[in-house]
Amino acid sequence: MPTMTLAQALRNALDIALERDDRVMIFGEDVGKRGGVFTITEGLQEKYGEMRVFDTPLDELGILGMGVGLAAAGMRPVAEIQFIDYIWPGFDALYSEAAKLRFRSGGRFAVPLVVRSPYGGRVKGGLYHSQSPETLFVHTAGLKVVIPSNPYDAKGLLLAAIADDNPVVFLEHKRMYFMSKGEVPEGYYEEPIGKAKVVREGSDVTLIAYGMMVLDSLEAAKTLEKEGISVEVIDLRSLMPFDGEAILNSVAKTGHLVTVHEAPRTLGFAAEVAAFVAERAIEYLDGPIVRVTGWDMPFPYILEDAYMPNPVRIVRGVKKALNLL
Amino acid sequence: MSPRKTRSRKVAVGKEVLKKALDLTPFTDEPLRFIDEDGHPVADFSLEDVGLDAAMAVRIYEDMVLTREIDRMAWVLVRQGKAFFHISTTGHEGTFVPQLHTLTEEDWVAPFYRLPASLHVRGIKVEEIFAQYMGTRLDPLKGRQMPGHLGHPDHKLFAHGSGVGSQFAVAIGIARALQYRGKGMCIAYGGDGATSEGHFHSLMNFAGVYNLPVVVTVVNNQYAISVPRSRQTASKTIAIKAMAYGFDGFLLDGNDPIVMYYATKKLAEKARSGEGPSLIEALTYRLDPHSSADDDKRYRTEEEVKYWWEHDTLKRMRTFLEDMGLWDQDREEALRERVKAQIEEALNRAEEAGLPDWEELFHDVYAGETPWHLLEEKHLLAEELKERPLHNPLKGGH
Repeated sequence: MPTMTLAQALRNALDIALERDDRVMIFGEDVGKRGGVFTITEGLQEKYGEMRVFDTPLDELGILGMGVGLAAAGMRPVAEIQFIDYIWPGFDALYSEAAKLRFRSGGRFAVPLVVRSPYGGRVKGGLYHSQSPETLFVHTAGLKVVIPSNPYDAKGLLLAAIADDNPVVFLEHKRMYFMSKGEVPEGYYEEPIGKAKVVREGSDVTLIAYGMMVLDSLEAAKTLEKEGISVEVIDLRSLMPFDGEAILNSVAKTGHLVTVHEAPRTLGFAAEVAAFVAERAIEYLDGPIVRVTGWDMPFPYILEDAYMPNPVRIVRGVKKALNLL
Repeated sequence: MSPRKTRSRKVAVGKEVLKKALDLTPFTDEPLRFIDEDGHPVADFSLEDVGLDAAMAVRIYEDMVLTREIDRMAWVLVRQGKAFFHISTTGHEGTFVPQLHTLTEEDWVAPFYRLPASLHVRGIKVEEIFAQYMGTRLDPLKGRQMPGHLGHPDHKLFAHGSGVGSQFAVAIGIARALQYRGKGMCIAYGGDGATSEGHFHSLMNFAGVYNLPVVVTVVNNQYAISVPRSRQTASKTIAIKAMAYGFDGFLLDGNDPIVMYYATKKLAEKARSGEGPSLIEALTYRLDPHSSADDDKRYRTEEEVKYWWEHDTLKRMRTFLEDMGLWDQDREEALRERVKAQIEEALNRAEEAGLPDWEELFHDVYAGETPWHLLEEKHLLAEELKERPLHNPLKGGH
């Protein structure tokens, strides 16, 4: 099995999708000749032509409006938003159109649209190249939200997202594009949307994470192991729908729950996990539910390290959940 | 001037007006038209000259009358408490009906909220239009939207939202899909107010850059609720905006069904054959308030409204047909009777259909398998409904 970076795995998935289904179209700012600012679409225009892989004017509303129209007319569009921080002029097309079209048409239209976009910090990107706004998409009924943490999942989940008849917001951690490497099968495969993965088994505490925070959580788990604390790490992979069963199974075993994300704390996805577990498994809990998150502030530039969740913050969160802090 | 000179001057002007319309002249300051404000031809021309035949000319008029009567009945439904809102089509029939008649089965429509009463031309059943107004089971949208929205993939009719101009951005993708497949075009509708939204700019810009097969139709009825066209844009016309996007814009008399048919047919064909997009500004007038929740006396004079009722597009079309020897009082009476019966029957069917299933609310959020959390929420509502009846607004009251 070849080893690929996250970027290569995503490119490979797009290549396969374009190859096997002539309804798939890829478009966005600089995705053509340039191959995307993160090179995810490199070489694809050359291979599939300018009707299948094309640059758009610099207009997120136009990009996402076009995505909805293509999907409504039977194509399988894959839109790239250069940075998720810039999606807002197009949010109307996502929030009011893509997410609601199936419902408002009485189930008659399908919207097989994938919106790919880099998110996340630790790249010295400042306010507008670092944010993690996933909660806003999760809170938009009608959208699915997927965030992979490794090349294998990224490819399988992206192919599943393209095959899905619903709009999927597919967030890729930009710090991981070239840093994250792993074995990836060459052919077509799908990883199921809505299914989490236990990436480390443990018995004392459940650590829920997604995207790059899976790596920080695994590092924290290693540190805690040395202190005799056994951490189970769950990679959520999909936030909408999310794998409630996997969370409950783990919490029933460990009795302690910590959720990690880069996004701001208040009403972040960790709040949903906390409410979900409190509502149906509070009897299993032997300690407080803890959130390890970014702060409730815009993302800072030069002091980004002050904002970013990290293994130390996660270790402290776990200890708090275990009433050790 | 002597009467003869006056008449010959009028004939000369008429010929000039006719020529401009036949040439489909872009970017004019005055709207192109084939019939004058009373409905008489501006100069001599044959139906063939304007791409029509007798059957289609009559059909357009009949469908305009049906549209008008559907719309009038919708107001009755509001007064009877059977519908909770209405957004009027009245006055726009001369724009929509002929345009929709120029489309083929390959073409798509990205509509907006003034079209519904006219959408029988696109294959939507009259009973479905009424069902949509009332939100009954026969509504293709299953009662999900307020009155004034219709869409159906089988009719290549986009199911638009309520955000003004939102369908413009979606039309980019519909047109791009048609361009990719190499057949069909998209007609994208919006009002004069919608041209202030970014969606209009997005569509115009993408349409120019990609040479999309789209005819953007701005229905300039001169008001966006209360705000007049002059407060939406300082541009002399809306049509002229196309120039900056690299294609032609046409100012048309939106109450002249003949020019609407002629121009749209030509521009749609141009789009289909890969020769690019066009902008139509159809100058018309909203004869009713914006909606059943509006009071237009606060911002329009009675004289102004009266003027436009006197030059109603229906009257103009009827006069034109009579001038052409295609219509008379007997036919008018027969049509009115037919339409009345058709509406009554359709209305009964729509009304009898009853409330849509509430269970389907949970299954129509996502295509395919319903996610677990929605199944749980459906169960919660089912339990709740064991303790209280679901309110049925169709049985009266709010």
